[in-house]
Amino acid sequence: MAKEKIQLEVNGKKFNLKVNPDELLVDVIRNDIGLTGTKVGCREGECGACSVILNGKVIPSCLVPVMKADGGKILTIEGLEKEGELHPLQKAFVQKGAIQCGFCTPGMLLSAKNLLDQNANPTLEEIKIAISGVLCRCTGYQKIIEAIRTASEIIRNQRV
Amino acid sequence: MNPHLVWSKSLHWEKYFRPQTIHEALKILEQFDGKARIIAGGTDLLIQIRRKEIELKTLVDISRIPGLDEIKLENGLIKIGALVTHSQVVQSPLIHERALALCEGASQLGSPQIRNLGTVVGNVVNGQPGADTTIPLLALNAIVKVARKEKEQNIPLTEFFIDTGKTIVDSTREIVTEISFPALIEGETSVSLRLARRKALALPILTTSIFISADLGKRIFNYARIALGPVAAIPFRAKDAESILISAPIKEEVIKETAQKAAQKSNPRNSLLRGGEEYRKAMVAVLVERGIHKGLERLEI
Repeated sequence: MAKEKIQLEVNGKKFNLKVNPDELLVDVIRNDIGLTGTKVGCREGECGACSVILNGKVIPSCLVPVMKADGGKILTIEGLEKEGELHPLQKAFVQKGAIQCGFCTPGMLLSAKNLLDQNANPTLEEIKIAISGVLCRCTGYQKIIEAIRTASEIIRNQRV
Repeated sequence: MNPHLVWSKSLHWEKYFRPQTIHEALKILEQFDGKARIIAGGTDLLIQIRRKEIELKTLVDISRIPGLDEIKLENGLIKIGALVTHSQVVQSPLIHERALALCEGASQLGSPQIRNLGTVVGNVVNGQPGADTTIPLLALNAIVKVARKEKEQNIPLTEFFIDTGKTIVDSTREIVTEISFPALIEGETSVSLRLARRKALALPILTTSIFISADLGKRIFNYARIALGPVAAIPFRAKDAESILISAPIKEEVIKETAQKAAQKSNPRNSLLRGGEEYRKAMVAVLVERGIHKGLERLEI
Protein backbone atom coordinates (compact mmCIF):
# COMPACT_ATOMS: atom_id res chain seq x y z
CA MET A 1 0.00 0.00 0.00
CA ALA A 2 1.37 3.42 -0.98
CA LYS A 3 2.03 5.69 1.98
CA GLU A 4 0.56 9.17 2.04
CA LYS A 5 2.21 12.33 3.36
CA ILE A 6 0.18 14.26 5.89
CA GLN A 7 0.70 17.02 8.42
CA LEU A 8 -0.80 17.24 11.88
CA GLU A 9 -0.36 19.92 14.52
CA VAL A 10 -0.48 18.15 17.86
CA ASN A 11 -0.33 20.19 21.08
CA GLY A 12 1.15 23.12 19.15
CA LYS A 13 3.87 21.07 17.46
CA LYS A 14 3.87 20.28 13.73
CA PHE A 15 4.41 16.68 12.60
CA ASN A 16 5.08 15.64 9.01
CA LEU A 17 4.15 12.00 8.72
CA LYS A 18 3.97 9.18 6.21
CA VAL A 19 0.94 7.03 6.92
CA ASN A 20 -1.04 4.19 5.42
CA PRO A 21 -4.29 5.63 4.06
CA ASP A 22 -6.39 3.24 6.18
CA GLU A 23 -4.91 4.30 9.51
CA LEU A 24 -7.03 5.95 12.16
CA LEU A 25 -6.16 9.14 13.97
CA VAL A 26 -5.99 7.40 17.35
CA ASP A 27 -3.37 4.91 16.16
CA VAL A 28 -1.21 7.59 14.54
CA ILE A 29 -1.32 9.67 17.73
CA ARG A 30 -0.28 6.68 19.82
CA ASN A 31 2.10 4.78 17.53
CA ASP A 32 3.62 7.35 15.16
CA ILE A 33 3.66 10.41 17.40
CA GLY A 34 4.12 8.37 20.57
CA LEU A 35 1.53 10.09 22.76
CA THR A 36 -0.11 7.22 24.59
CA GLY A 37 -2.24 9.33 26.93
CA THR A 38 -5.03 8.96 24.37
CA LYS A 39 -6.54 5.57 25.15
CA VAL A 40 -8.12 2.93 22.94
CA GLY A 41 -11.26 1.31 24.31
CA CYS A 42 -14.07 0.10 22.10
CA ARG A 43 -12.95 1.40 18.68
CA GLU A 44 -16.60 2.12 17.93
CA GLY A 45 -17.11 5.61 19.37
CA GLU A 46 -19.04 4.33 22.39
CA CYS A 47 -16.58 4.61 25.28
CA GLY A 48 -14.95 8.00 24.66
CA ALA A 49 -11.50 6.89 25.89
CA CYS A 50 -9.94 8.03 22.59
CA SER A 51 -11.42 11.55 22.73
CA VAL A 52 -9.19 14.35 21.48
CA ILE A 53 -9.97 17.92 20.49
CA LEU A 54 -9.71 18.30 16.71
CA ASN A 55 -10.05 21.83 15.31
CA GLY A 56 -11.80 22.99 18.47
CA LYS A 57 -14.24 20.10 18.85
CA VAL A 58 -14.00 17.00 20.99
CA ILE A 59 -14.30 13.90 18.78
CA PRO A 60 -13.68 10.15 19.07
CA SER A 61 -10.30 9.68 17.36
CA CYS A 62 -11.06 6.01 16.72
CA LEU A 63 -13.68 7.02 14.16
CA VAL A 64 -11.51 9.49 12.25
CA PRO A 65 -9.41 8.24 9.35
CA VAL A 66 -6.08 10.03 9.73
CA MET A 67 -6.42 11.27 6.15
CA LYS A 68 -9.50 13.19 7.23
CA ALA A 69 -7.55 14.88 10.02
CA ASP A 70 -4.72 15.94 7.65
CA GLY A 71 -3.86 19.61 8.24
CA GLY A 72 -5.82 19.66 11.48
CA LYS A 73 -4.98 21.04 14.92
CA ILE A 74 -5.19 18.48 17.68
CA LEU A 75 -5.11 18.77 21.44
CA THR A 76 -4.43 15.57 23.37
CA ILE A 77 -4.26 15.08 27.12
CA GLU A 78 -0.48 15.68 27.02
CA GLY A 79 -1.12 19.22 25.76
CA LEU A 80 -3.32 20.26 28.65
CA GLU A 81 -0.56 21.23 31.10
CA LYS A 82 1.37 24.42 30.45
CA GLU A 83 5.10 24.65 31.27
CA GLY A 84 4.94 21.87 33.80
CA GLU A 85 1.85 23.22 35.53
CA LEU A 86 -1.34 21.23 35.44
CA HIS A 87 -4.47 22.75 33.89
CA PRO A 88 -7.08 23.85 36.51
CA LEU A 89 -9.24 20.92 35.38
CA GLN A 90 -6.42 18.45 36.02
CA LYS A 91 -5.75 19.97 39.45
CA ALA A 92 -9.43 19.76 40.34
CA PHE A 93 -9.60 16.10 39.23
CA VAL A 94 -6.67 15.32 41.54
CA GLN A 95 -8.09 17.30 44.47
CA LYS A 96 -11.62 15.91 44.21
CA GLY A 97 -10.53 12.29 43.73
CA ALA A 98 -12.15 12.20 40.30
CA ILE A 99 -9.61 9.63 39.10
CA GLN A 100 -9.48 5.98 40.02
CA CYS A 101 -8.10 3.66 37.36
CA GLY A 102 -7.52 6.66 35.10
CA PHE A 103 -8.45 5.05 31.80
CA CYS A 104 -11.35 7.41 31.12
CA THR A 105 -9.58 10.46 32.55
CA PRO A 106 -8.06 11.83 29.30
CA GLY A 107 -11.45 11.65 27.58
CA MET A 108 -13.20 13.16 30.61
CA LEU A 109 -10.72 16.03 30.84
CA LEU A 110 -10.85 16.86 27.13
CA SER A 111 -14.66 16.69 27.13
CA ALA A 112 -14.68 19.06 30.10
CA LYS A 113 -12.10 21.35 28.47
CA ASN A 114 -14.22 21.53 25.32
CA LEU A 115 -17.25 22.47 27.44
CA LEU A 116 -15.46 25.16 29.48
CA ASP A 117 -13.90 26.68 26.32
CA GLN A 118 -17.41 27.32 25.02
CA ASN A 119 -19.21 27.91 28.29
CA ALA A 120 -17.27 29.04 31.37
CA ASN A 121 -20.29 28.80 33.65
CA PRO A 122 -22.03 25.52 32.86
CA THR A 123 -25.06 24.21 34.74
CA LEU A 124 -25.03 20.77 36.34
CA GLU A 125 -27.09 19.45 33.41
CA GLU A 126 -24.65 20.93 30.88
CA ILE A 127 -21.73 19.26 32.65
CA LYS A 128 -23.55 15.91 32.63
CA ILE A 129 -24.27 16.21 28.91
CA ALA A 130 -20.67 17.24 28.18
CA ILE A 131 -19.25 14.07 29.75
CA SER A 132 -22.03 11.77 28.53
CA GLY A 133 -19.81 10.51 25.70
CA VAL A 134 -17.19 9.04 28.05
CA LEU A 135 -17.75 5.91 30.10
CA CYS A 136 -16.28 5.63 33.60
CA ARG A 137 -16.70 2.35 35.49
CA CYS A 138 -14.93 3.41 38.72
CA THR A 139 -16.03 6.76 40.07
CA GLY A 140 -19.79 6.84 39.62
CA TYR A 141 -19.27 10.21 37.90
CA GLN A 142 -20.17 12.29 40.95
CA LYS A 143 -16.59 13.32 41.75
CA ILE A 144 -15.88 14.03 38.11
CA ILE A 145 -18.88 16.39 37.99
CA GLU A 146 -17.71 18.08 41.23
CA ALA A 147 -14.20 18.48 39.83
CA ILE A 148 -15.49 20.14 36.65
CA ARG A 149 -17.63 22.51 38.73
CA THR A 150 -14.66 23.43 40.88
CA ALA A 151 -12.44 23.98 37.83
CA SER A 152 -15.05 26.17 36.16
CA GLU A 153 -15.12 28.40 39.25
CA ILE A 154 -11.32 28.64 39.32
CA ILE A 155 -11.17 29.46 35.61
CA ARG A 156 -13.87 32.14 35.96
CA ASN A 157 -12.04 33.73 38.90
CA GLN A 158 -8.79 33.77 36.92
CA ARG A 159 -10.48 35.70 34.13
CA VAL A 160 -11.87 38.40 36.41
CA MET B 1 -24.08 -15.89 13.13
CA ASN B 2 -24.60 -12.79 15.20
CA PRO B 3 -23.20 -10.03 12.98
CA HIS B 4 -21.83 -8.22 16.02
CA LEU B 5 -19.39 -11.07 16.60
CA VAL B 6 -17.64 -10.23 13.33
CA TRP B 7 -15.20 -7.51 14.23
CA SER B 8 -11.91 -6.52 12.75
CA LYS B 9 -9.29 -4.39 14.45
CA SER B 10 -7.81 -3.05 11.24
CA LEU B 11 -10.00 -1.66 8.54
CA HIS B 12 -8.03 -2.24 5.33
CA TRP B 13 -8.99 0.13 2.61
CA GLU B 14 -6.41 0.90 -0.02
CA LYS B 15 -7.16 4.37 -1.27
CA TYR B 16 -8.53 7.50 0.33
CA PHE B 17 -9.56 10.32 -1.99
CA ARG B 18 -10.34 13.88 -0.95
CA PRO B 19 -12.01 15.55 -3.95
CA GLN B 20 -12.56 19.32 -4.03
CA THR B 21 -15.85 19.27 -5.96
CA ILE B 22 -18.98 17.11 -6.23
CA HIS B 23 -18.19 16.59 -9.90
CA GLU B 24 -14.74 15.23 -9.06
CA ALA B 25 -16.21 12.95 -6.35
CA LEU B 26 -18.76 11.52 -8.80
CA LYS B 27 -15.98 10.87 -11.33
CA ILE B 28 -13.96 8.89 -8.78
CA LEU B 29 -17.05 6.83 -7.86
CA GLU B 30 -17.66 6.10 -11.53
CA GLN B 31 -14.05 5.12 -12.08
CA PHE B 32 -14.22 2.54 -9.27
CA ASP B 33 -17.56 1.21 -10.50
CA GLY B 34 -19.27 0.33 -7.21
CA LYS B 35 -16.08 -0.42 -5.24
CA ALA B 36 -15.61 3.08 -3.80
CA ARG B 37 -17.89 4.70 -1.27
CA ILE B 38 -18.62 8.18 0.06
CA ILE B 39 -17.53 9.08 3.59
CA ALA B 40 -18.68 12.26 5.36
CA GLY B 41 -18.62 12.04 9.18
CA GLY B 42 -17.90 8.32 9.11
CA THR B 43 -19.42 7.59 12.53
CA ASP B 44 -21.64 4.82 11.14
CA LEU B 45 -19.53 3.80 8.14
CA LEU B 46 -16.35 2.96 10.05
CA ILE B 47 -18.28 0.69 12.40
CA GLN B 48 -19.98 -1.01 9.45
CA ILE B 49 -16.58 -1.63 7.87
CA ARG B 50 -15.25 -3.00 11.18
CA ARG B 51 -18.17 -5.39 11.49
CA LYS B 52 -17.65 -6.36 7.84
CA GLU B 53 -21.19 -5.33 6.97
CA ILE B 54 -19.60 -3.32 4.17
CA GLU B 55 -16.47 -4.28 2.29
CA LEU B 56 -14.67 -1.74 0.20
CA LYS B 57 -11.28 -0.81 -1.16
CA THR B 58 -11.68 2.92 -1.63
CA LEU B 59 -13.14 5.80 0.34
CA VAL B 60 -14.12 9.14 -1.16
CA ASP B 61 -14.10 11.80 1.57
CA ILE B 62 -16.36 14.75 0.70
CA SER B 63 -15.35 16.81 3.74
CA ARG B 64 -13.02 19.10 1.70
CA ILE B 65 -15.76 20.16 -0.73
CA PRO B 66 -16.58 23.80 0.00
CA GLY B 67 -20.15 24.97 0.69
CA LEU B 68 -21.57 21.69 1.99
CA ASP B 69 -21.19 22.61 5.66
CA GLU B 70 -23.87 25.31 5.78
CA ILE B 71 -27.39 25.65 7.16
CA LYS B 72 -29.22 28.18 5.00
CA LEU B 73 -32.67 29.76 4.77
CA GLU B 74 -33.69 30.41 1.16
CA ASN B 75 -37.21 31.29 -0.01
CA GLY B 76 -38.75 29.84 3.13
CA LEU B 77 -36.76 26.61 2.84
CA ILE B 78 -34.18 25.51 5.39
CA LYS B 79 -31.32 23.78 3.57
CA ILE B 80 -28.88 21.49 5.34
CA GLY B 81 -25.69 20.67 3.45
CA ALA B 82 -24.17 17.18 3.39
CA LEU B 83 -21.41 18.09 5.87
CA VAL B 84 -23.57 19.77 8.52
CA THR B 85 -23.00 17.97 11.83
CA HIS B 86 -25.56 17.22 14.51
CA SER B 87 -23.83 19.73 16.78
CA GLN B 88 -24.23 22.47 14.16
CA VAL B 89 -27.96 21.74 14.00
CA VAL B 90 -28.31 21.73 17.79
CA GLN B 91 -26.53 25.10 18.06
CA SER B 92 -28.28 26.77 15.10
CA PRO B 93 -30.68 29.57 16.16
CA LEU B 94 -32.50 29.14 12.83
CA ILE B 95 -33.22 25.44 13.48
CA HIS B 96 -34.13 26.23 17.07
CA GLU B 97 -36.68 28.87 16.04
CA ARG B 98 -38.13 27.30 12.93
CA ALA B 99 -37.60 23.53 13.13
CA LEU B 100 -37.37 22.70 16.82
CA ALA B 101 -38.16 19.00 16.27
CA LEU B 102 -34.93 18.58 14.33
CA CYS B 103 -32.94 20.33 17.04
CA GLU B 104 -34.49 18.02 19.64
CA GLY B 105 -33.83 14.92 17.52
CA ALA B 106 -30.19 15.81 16.82
CA SER B 107 -29.54 16.69 20.47
CA GLN B 108 -30.46 13.12 21.53
CA LEU B 109 -28.22 11.36 19.02
CA GLY B 110 -25.19 9.41 20.27
CA SER B 111 -22.95 11.58 22.43
CA PRO B 112 -21.31 15.02 22.14
CA GLN B 113 -18.35 13.34 20.43
CA ILE B 114 -20.55 11.62 17.86
CA ARG B 115 -22.62 14.78 17.33
CA ASN B 116 -19.44 16.75 16.61
CA LEU B 117 -18.38 14.30 13.92
CA GLY B 118 -21.50 12.71 12.42
CA THR B 119 -23.64 14.47 9.83
CA VAL B 120 -27.41 14.81 9.53
CA VAL B 121 -27.34 13.77 5.87
CA GLY B 122 -25.24 10.70 6.76
CA ASN B 123 -27.76 9.74 9.44
CA VAL B 124 -30.53 9.84 6.83
CA VAL B 125 -28.55 8.09 4.07
CA ASN B 126 -27.70 5.27 6.46
CA GLY B 127 -31.39 4.35 6.30
CA GLN B 128 -32.06 3.22 9.86
CA PRO B 129 -35.79 3.24 10.75
CA GLY B 130 -35.27 4.95 14.11
CA ALA B 131 -32.56 7.44 13.12
CA ASP B 132 -32.73 10.48 15.40
CA THR B 133 -32.66 13.08 12.64
CA THR B 134 -34.59 11.12 10.02
CA ILE B 135 -37.79 10.99 12.09
CA PRO B 136 -38.00 14.81 12.58
CA LEU B 137 -37.07 15.41 8.93
CA LEU B 138 -39.91 13.10 7.91
CA ALA B 139 -42.35 15.11 10.04
CA LEU B 140 -40.95 18.33 8.55
CA ASN B 141 -41.66 17.05 5.03
CA ALA B 142 -38.06 17.08 3.86
CA ILE B 143 -36.72 16.69 0.35
CA VAL B 144 -33.40 15.03 -0.46
CA LYS B 145 -31.17 16.39 -3.21
CA VAL B 146 -29.15 13.69 -4.94
CA ALA B 147 -26.21 14.38 -7.25
CA ARG B 148 -25.76 11.81 -9.97
CA LYS B 149 -23.57 11.56 -13.03
CA GLU B 150 -26.50 12.25 -15.33
CA LYS B 151 -28.43 14.86 -13.40
CA GLU B 152 -29.43 16.18 -10.02
CA GLN B 153 -32.67 14.89 -8.55
CA ASN B 154 -34.95 15.98 -5.71
CA ILE B 155 -36.63 13.12 -3.89
CA PRO B 156 -39.25 13.46 -1.12
CA LEU B 157 -38.02 11.77 2.06
CA THR B 158 -41.26 9.72 2.09
CA GLU B 159 -40.01 7.96 -1.07
CA PHE B 160 -36.39 7.66 0.03
CA PHE B 161 -36.36 4.48 2.12
CA ILE B 162 -36.58 0.94 0.74
CA ASP B 163 -35.71 -1.35 3.65
CA THR B 164 -33.76 -1.26 6.92
CA GLY B 165 -30.37 0.21 6.07
CA LYS B 166 -31.36 0.61 2.44
CA THR B 167 -32.36 3.76 0.61
CA ILE B 168 -32.80 4.59 -3.06
CA VAL B 169 -29.41 6.27 -2.95
CA ASP B 170 -26.37 4.15 -3.72
CA SER B 171 -23.38 5.70 -1.93
CA THR B 172 -21.02 3.96 -4.30
CA ARG B 173 -22.44 5.93 -7.23
CA GLU B 174 -24.41 8.91 -5.94
CA ILE B 175 -24.08 11.69 -3.38
CA VAL B 176 -26.80 13.33 -1.29
CA THR B 177 -25.70 16.96 -1.28
CA GLU B 178 -28.52 18.57 0.71
CA ILE B 179 -31.72 18.04 2.64
CA SER B 180 -34.31 20.82 2.70
CA PHE B 181 -37.71 21.45 4.24
CA PRO B 182 -40.07 24.39 4.75
CA ALA B 183 -39.18 26.55 7.77
CA LEU B 184 -42.08 26.67 10.22
CA ILE B 185 -44.30 29.74 10.14
CA GLU B 186 -46.92 31.26 12.46
CA GLY B 187 -49.50 28.67 13.52
CA GLU B 188 -47.11 25.77 13.01
CA THR B 189 -45.07 23.84 15.54
CA SER B 190 -42.96 20.72 15.77
CA VAL B 191 -41.80 18.44 18.52
CA SER B 192 -39.65 15.33 18.95
CA LEU B 193 -39.86 12.87 21.83
CA ARG B 194 -37.63 9.91 22.51
CA LEU B 195 -37.77 6.89 24.76
CA ALA B 196 -34.45 5.18 25.45
CA ARG B 197 -32.73 3.18 28.18
CA ARG B 198 -30.22 5.92 28.92
CA LYS B 199 -29.82 9.56 27.98
CA ALA B 200 -26.62 9.06 25.98
CA LEU B 201 -25.25 6.45 23.61
CA ALA B 202 -28.47 4.47 23.65
CA LEU B 203 -30.47 3.63 20.56
CA PRO B 204 -34.11 4.69 20.90
CA ILE B 205 -36.76 2.24 22.07
CA LEU B 206 -39.12 4.60 20.27
CA THR B 207 -38.91 8.03 18.81
CA THR B 208 -41.59 10.29 17.42
CA SER B 209 -41.69 13.66 15.71
CA ILE B 210 -44.88 15.58 15.17
CA PHE B 211 -45.59 18.61 13.02
CA ILE B 212 -48.81 20.52 13.74
CA SER B 213 -50.53 23.31 11.86
CA ALA B 214 -53.42 24.67 13.90
CA ASP B 215 -55.80 27.61 14.21
CA LEU B 216 -55.95 28.36 17.90
CA GLY B 217 -58.59 31.07 17.39
CA LYS B 218 -61.02 28.54 15.94
CA ARG B 219 -59.63 25.77 18.20
CA ILE B 220 -59.01 23.45 15.25
CA PHE B 221 -56.08 21.50 13.86
CA ASN B 222 -55.45 22.34 10.21
CA TYR B 223 -53.35 19.27 9.60
CA ALA B 224 -50.43 17.34 11.11
CA ARG B 225 -47.63 14.96 10.24
CA ILE B 226 -46.67 12.17 12.65
CA ALA B 227 -43.41 10.29 12.11
CA LEU B 228 -42.36 7.28 14.16
CA GLY B 229 -39.34 5.04 14.49
CA PRO B 230 -38.29 2.30 14.76
CA VAL B 231 -41.75 0.73 14.33
CA ALA B 232 -41.39 -0.70 10.83
CA ALA B 233 -38.63 -1.68 8.41
CA ILE B 234 -38.36 1.93 7.31
CA PRO B 235 -39.02 5.29 9.01
CA PHE B 236 -42.79 5.43 9.39
CA ARG B 237 -45.41 8.12 8.79
CA ALA B 238 -48.66 7.39 10.64
CA LYS B 239 -50.87 8.71 7.84
CA ASP B 240 -54.09 7.13 9.12
CA ALA B 241 -53.58 8.89 12.41
CA GLU B 242 -52.71 12.14 10.66
CA SER B 243 -55.95 12.07 8.68
CA ILE B 244 -57.98 12.16 11.92
CA LEU B 245 -56.52 15.57 12.68
CA ILE B 246 -57.39 17.24 9.36
CA SER B 247 -59.64 20.21 10.27
CA ALA B 248 -60.54 18.42 13.50
CA PRO B 249 -61.42 20.29 16.70
CA ILE B 250 -58.67 20.57 19.32
CA LYS B 251 -60.23 18.21 21.85
CA GLU B 252 -58.95 15.57 24.20
CA GLU B 253 -60.89 12.72 22.54
CA VAL B 254 -59.57 13.65 19.10
CA ILE B 255 -55.98 13.60 20.38
CA LYS B 256 -56.54 10.24 22.11
CA GLU B 257 -58.09 8.71 18.99
CA THR B 258 -55.14 9.91 16.90
CA ALA B 259 -52.64 8.41 19.36
CA GLN B 260 -54.53 5.09 19.40
CA LYS B 261 -54.61 4.97 15.61
CA ALA B 262 -50.87 5.64 15.41
CA ALA B 263 -50.23 2.76 17.81
CA GLN B 264 -52.58 0.45 15.90
CA LYS B 265 -50.81 1.12 12.61
CA SER B 266 -47.27 0.84 13.88
CA ASN B 267 -45.56 -2.49 13.91
CA PRO B 268 -42.62 -2.55 16.35
CA ARG B 269 -40.73 -5.79 16.74
CA ASN B 270 -39.95 -7.76 19.86
CA SER B 271 -36.40 -6.78 20.61
CA LEU B 272 -33.99 -7.64 23.40
CA LEU B 273 -32.47 -4.22 22.94
CA ARG B 274 -35.60 -2.12 22.54
CA GLY B 275 -38.27 -4.03 24.47
CA GLY B 276 -41.33 -6.14 23.72
CA GLU B 277 -43.76 -5.48 20.90
CA GLU B 278 -46.81 -4.95 23.12
CA TYR B 279 -45.01 -2.54 25.40
CA ARG B 280 -43.60 -0.58 22.52
CA LYS B 281 -46.97 -0.40 20.77
CA ALA B 282 -48.61 0.89 23.94
CA MET B 283 -45.85 3.45 24.29
CA VAL B 284 -46.43 4.73 20.73
CA ALA B 285 -49.85 5.94 21.86
CA VAL B 286 -48.33 7.55 24.97
CA LEU B 287 -45.62 9.36 23.02
CA VAL B 288 -47.94 10.58 20.27
CA GLU B 289 -50.46 11.90 22.79
CA ARG B 290 -47.69 13.59 24.77
CA GLY B 291 -46.18 15.01 21.59
CA ILE B 292 -49.43 16.56 20.38
CA HIS B 293 -49.99 18.15 23.80
CA LYS B 294 -46.46 19.50 23.84
CA GLY B 295 -46.88 20.90 20.33
CA LEU B 296 -50.11 22.64 21.31
CA GLU B 297 -48.43 24.10 24.41
CA ARG B 298 -45.73 25.53 22.20
CA LEU B 299 -48.29 27.10 19.87
CA GLU B 300 -49.96 28.87 22.75
CA ILE B 301 -46.81 30.56 23.98
